Amino acid sequence: MGRFLLRRGANYVAMLFVAVSATYLLASVFMDPRSNYLSRNPRPPMDSINASLTAANINDEDPLLLRYWRWLTDIVLHWNWGLSPDQEPVASAVATRIGASTQLVTLATVLAIVIGVAIGVYTAIRQYKWQDRVLGGFATFFLVIPTAVLALFVVIAAIYINEALGFRLFYVTGLHSYEGDNPWLWLLDLAQHLILPTIVLTIIGAVSYHLTQRTYLLDTMKADYVRTARAKGLPLHLAIRKHALRTSLIPTAVNVAFSIATVFTGAVITETIFAINGLGRYFVTTIVNNDINGATCIAAFAGVCTLVGALLADLVVAWLDPRIRIS
Amino acid sequence: MADSELTVTAAAVLTAEDEQSTGLRRTGRFTLIARRFARRPSAVVGLVLLVLLVVFAFVGPRIAQWGYDEPDFLALAQAPSAEHWFGTTTGGSDVFALVARGLGRSLAIGILSSVAITVIAAIIGTTIAFFEGWVERVGMWVLDMLLVIPSFLLIAMIVRSSSGANGWIWLTFGITVFGWIGYARVLRTLTLSLRELDYVHAARYMGVRSFTIIRRHLIPNLGSVLIIQTVLGVVAAVNSETALSFLGLGIKAPDTSLGTILQAGQSVILTAPWVLIAPSVALVLLTFSVQLIGDGLRDAIDPNSRSGGRA
Repeated sequence: MGRFLLRRGANYVAMLFVAVSATYLLASVFMDPRSNYLSRNPRPPMDSINASLTAANINDEDPLLLRYWRWLTDIVLHWNWGLSPDQEPVASAVATRIGASTQLVTLATVLAIVIGVAIGVYTAIRQYKWQDRVLGGFATFFLVIPTAVLALFVVIAAIYINEALGFRLFYVTGLHSYEGDNPWLWLLDLAQHLILPTIVLTIIGAVSYHLTQRTYLLDTMKADYVRTARAKGLPLHLAIRKHALRTSLIPTAVNVAFSIATVFTGAVITETIFAINGLGRYFVTTIVNNDINGATCIAAFAGVCTLVGALLADLVVAWLDPRIRIS
Repeated sequence: MADSELTVTAAAVLTAEDEQSTGLRRTGRFTLIARRFARRPSAVVGLVLLVLLVVFAFVGPRIAQWGYDEPDFLALAQAPSAEHWFGTTTGGSDVFALVARGLGRSLAIGILSSVAITVIAAIIGTTIAFFEGWVERVGMWVLDMLLVIPSFLLIAMIVRSSSGANGWIWLTFGITVFGWIGYARVLRTLTLSLRELDYVHAARYMGVRSFTIIRRHLIPNLGSVLIIQTVLGVVAAVNSETALSFLGLGIKAPDTSLGTILQAGQSVILTAPWVLIAPSVALVLLTFSVQLIGDGLRDAIDPNSRSGGRA
């Protein structure tokens, strides 16, 4: 087991290195930090522009490979992920945003998994009955609706409810606005801010778990061992619970392992609409500011999360699936 | 695949017998699929909706009284009226004209990139599986490596630098270049069983060139999967286009897309909700209708599906 993990881990580190390097080169080719300064009015003198760009190691007059080498050695030797065009260190900016993203996404992820899997099992058992058709129709609708549209309509609905009630039940921007010391009021305030984005993220996550879990359970319900269980006299619900459900949960568990990674990287659209300063929103800022180092740092963090998810998925499968033994 | 062919023809013969006792009439594969498709009300509704949307995207700009790029400075943020059917934005642009133009853009980007993604994924996925050995090992490593960084971030990076009239081509390019990887992995898995088929072995030992085998035997065998994937891929592509344009990273003024209009509507959510509602309805109708068509096609092509009744 230990050796398997070590080998997988080494492979993932190699992948991460190639992927992040490629991302850095891609970002350097396509993003143009010089344009930040050229569009200023009055335009700063060329020498000063060049000095600021060189200080952040994003001067396009230096050879690309030289910049890449400086960037790489800084990370490997000093764990320094570089500066933004405004000379701010990007690593600490990323670190502070991870907390906000985690607060936002954790609850929604848990709710989405529980609700989605429950509905998936419920509809699979009632395949092609009216419950399945109705819930399936809703799921298809929410699966294809763009996140921005869904979130904006949730905002409109919340504003109308606030107006109808005459006071602010829902807050549509930010995560905190309470400034006192009472922890209960602080929690209430957080809940008032969190509920709308959580609804959006839960709906989006739950429909995909619903549809996949339904497919997996239907696949295993047709398997021979379930038919055998039925033939020896087991009632349908027992056959499903004891035999079909367990195997059908394996692929879902793999998806869950991967989605844990997204808890830390946040949700770009939802954070933008609800004005939450998470990692997703920060990413948009880096792109708009031509912040090569910042964008690469976020991409690297997202890559680490993906690979941790992949490693978790390997472990989950080994733990749940009796057919797979790694040693 | 051979099995499913048999099931389809057997079922076809049965229905033909049911319908015409006078004599056997052969039902072609496509007739059968079309018939099964037409039997699903949701699929037909999806098709009708999509046709209406396409007509709207083509005819809309011609019947609109204002162009999408000629703002009416005497009517800023006006509610829908006889002059401006869907109202105007705060900048005075006619929302009807914007939505018609944006719908065309979203459709073009969605369809073009989805088709391109399917072509690339089919070629690379089958090639990796066909050559086995080190080609497969290296190929899978590269595919996994490309999936490490979320593609949304990479698309945003390269699309950011493009704007103006050619921005939408760059966006299509970006969605395609980073969108085929997951599909290629799926198709490679499907090819694993195809490469063991007898006639593929036979072709190989007869000395048929590898790429001829891939083109003639492997890719056509995946035909139904590819068709369904292309249709459902349109939904995914439209969604990423909307997301990027909404964030201000995709299509920018003077050009417009549904995501760009949504972004303009976000800031006037209370004062001018029509700016938001018109593109939202268009987007939801577009993605939902394409999804219904895709689901209908999947059930029509899959011989084991019992969702639509017999045959």
